[in-house]
Amino acid sequence: MTELQQTVTFAVFAAVVLCITTSWLDMAVAALLGVSALTLFGIFDHQDILEAARNSDGSLALLFGGMVMARVLEPTKIFDHLGTRFLRLTKGSGKRFLLGLVALVSTLCAFLPNATTVVLLAPVIVRICRQLGVDFVGPMVLTAIASNSAGMLTLVGDPATFMVGSAVGLSFNRYLLTMSLGGILALLVLMALLPLLVGEIWRLRRELPGDLVPEPVRWPRLCGVLLSVLAGMIGLFLVGDGLPNPIVPPAASIIGASVALLVVHGARMEPITDVVRDVDWKTLLFLFCMFCLVQAVVKTGLVERFSTSMVETFGTRIAVVAIVVLVGVGVGSTIIANIPLVAAVLFLVKSYFVIAELVPEEALTRSFIAWPEAYLPVFAAMMFGGTLGGNATVIGASANVVSAGICAAQGRPISFFRFMRYGVPVTLAQLVLGTLYVQAMFLIL
Amino acid sequence: MVMDRRCRIRWATVALWAALVAVVGEGARPALAGDTLERVRSTGVVRCGVHNGLVGFAAPSEEGRWSGMEVDFCRAVAAAVLGNADKTVLVPTLASARFPLLKSRQVDVLLRRTTWTLGREAAFEVHFAGILFYDGQSFLVPREGPVRAVEDLDGATICLVKGTTHERHLADHFRARGMAYRLAMADSHSAAVEAYRRGECTALTGDASALALVASTSGPGIAGDRVLPGFIAKEPLGPVVNRGDEEWLTIVRWVLFALIEAEERGVTRERARELRAATRDPGLAAFLGEPPGPGKSLGLADDWVLRVVESVGNYGEIFARHLGAESPAHLERGLNRLWRDGGLLYAPPFR
Repeated sequence: MTELQQTVTFAVFAAVVLCITTSWLDMAVAALLGVSALTLFGIFDHQDILEAARNSDGSLALLFGGMVMARVLEPTKIFDHLGTRFLRLTKGSGKRFLLGLVALVSTLCAFLPNATTVVLLAPVIVRICRQLGVDFVGPMVLTAIASNSAGMLTLVGDPATFMVGSAVGLSFNRYLLTMSLGGILALLVLMALLPLLVGEIWRLRRELPGDLVPEPVRWPRLCGVLLSVLAGMIGLFLVGDGLPNPIVPPAASIIGASVALLVVHGARMEPITDVVRDVDWKTLLFLFCMFCLVQAVVKTGLVERFSTSMVETFGTRIAVVAIVVLVGVGVGSTIIANIPLVAAVLFLVKSYFVIAELVPEEALTRSFIAWPEAYLPVFAAMMFGGTLGGNATVIGASANVVSAGICAAQGRPISFFRFMRYGVPVTLAQLVLGTLYVQAMFLIL
Repeated sequence: MVMDRRCRIRWATVALWAALVAVVGEGARPALAGDTLERVRSTGVVRCGVHNGLVGFAAPSEEGRWSGMEVDFCRAVAAAVLGNADKTVLVPTLASARFPLLKSRQVDVLLRRTTWTLGREAAFEVHFAGILFYDGQSFLVPREGPVRAVEDLDGATICLVKGTTHERHLADHFRARGMAYRLAMADSHSAAVEAYRRGECTALTGDASALALVASTSGPGIAGDRVLPGFIAKEPLGPVVNRGDEEWLTIVRWVLFALIEAEERGVTRERARELRAATRDPGLAAFLGEPPGPGKSLGLADDWVLRVVESVGNYGEIFARHLGAESPAHLERGLNRLWRDGGLLYAPPFR
């Protein structure tokens, strides 16, 4: 990429972000125009599009599957049913609702893809909020934030944790021992901030009608079959990778959606055209365009070039490097999808260690996992930054975009700044926590 | 989530337009232009990672002018691609920083005395364009000392530079023979030399050529010290480029072959242009750029070989100037002779 192309890339990316933040243009149109501009300047070609699709880690397939599952289940009224049941558990208390919501999302997202979880839970959340008579925007945003935060709980909870963890040879159990506590603390920080973020709902006490009973499910047998398909899809998320013919989560998502559509077609429940039409294509399009734009930014190679400067500036003071990485990745993740950013910073950090001669040059390769324990906190810092930084803005993570898309589809669009009112305080508090956690790791390891 | 018909039509239109733009954009890209060549042409410079200070390969003069085999190879690439050997940016680098530098695309060609190994080419996802210098790992020992062969180094302290392949070769060689040793690691070549000069180690290990240069150019305390005969490991040094840009790899590789071929054909810096005009050999004329020369298939000018040789000379001239008879080092060509002279240098046909 030439210097001019690099400049154009950053200018286009900045312009797209500006259009989104100021709402001058629809998010998807802004992103699409950005991709078009890069294509016209010869910066982006079909190889880059394939690379962007690969780096998106199957996010679009995961989302498509979740959207189809949520859509096919909708006519069965299962979400109304579950919503009412959840509402009864809250006993009309906003506090119970919020804490229960964070706990539920966290549990699911420790194992399931974040954005898919948001898609599946959204209909329930919207119904509960309507029954409680509160605005669903706050809980929807919190659902996205909780789902991102919960990504820290397990090695497979977020692509960023998986990417970094795999690169340094962390096993699932080793991750549980060293990193999961950080995820739990991040969620506790979110819970502690709930009264400030959604105080109105937190303080809500609503007398529920005594005769509040869950609405009966329509077509219970069909609903049962569709829920079985959903369970199968989730099962494949969890164990598909270990099958003799591995099925990765995005593939499981497509398989689940296909079988669900077959069930709908076979039961003559409704035309498949209607189901497919209602998929949130705009959100999928926006996300894909953002992946492409981020791919172009990463392709400039700018991030990787800081390694020599890091050695010159910080020497071998790796505790300082860890803070710089955490803050840098955290801030970067607020506007850049964390997967390509973390991939670039991973190379940067590995290069730093090699140039500083703290590890052999083989550490740059994919196969090297013999990282000394003492350097693990730097990689932990990357996980904190990559996973939690995305909470700050609506474009920081796929789950946020999906959440905003659902709110818009329900007639309550979220502006960039409205999302930030929830996201920024949480992100700041969580990144401070992350910094303390990483520094504690230096003392312990 | 329900989209009305107008909304759907709008999105479909936008998507179609984007697809059209993608197709048009792709069609507009030159079919042969790789990213590196494109970047080199647009910026007008070739960036090379070179040694941070080893006379004969890459080192600055007192006036700050860099010279050496690596520098000349970089100039040759610039002459081939840009028609001007001065259009280079030399990036002196530590051994440990060379692959990060290449992988982050801060250099277009990495030289920096980099040994071609399977592990590096496969794991770093790079390509070695060929072998610029056949070297091997050996030891520099005091002239009057008791060490006459590698076997005499059992239990010795060995000075070496961190981040190179020498440490592993040393370990493998000594372990295989049940020999003990201690390491005195240094951050750079000059630091290792100084440690050796101060007597912190019995021997200094490194590439034989570098050790010979040390012995011939390092002055009191080292001058005249001996490089032990034989190699404990092969160290073929060559230019490296990133994987994924085969067009650039091909250019760099054939610049190297051009230098070798020029020596084989007797094309020298002084006589190159004259030879081109006078020769009756169509093969030589084409080699030197008589249309159709060897440039078109590489996306270079027909006379790129002529420009290369006129700028830096042929391989033999480069060697003589920096390492051989015309240099303070007076190194033998050894394995770096042409194949017909018993060496390993061999260029495929330029047709």
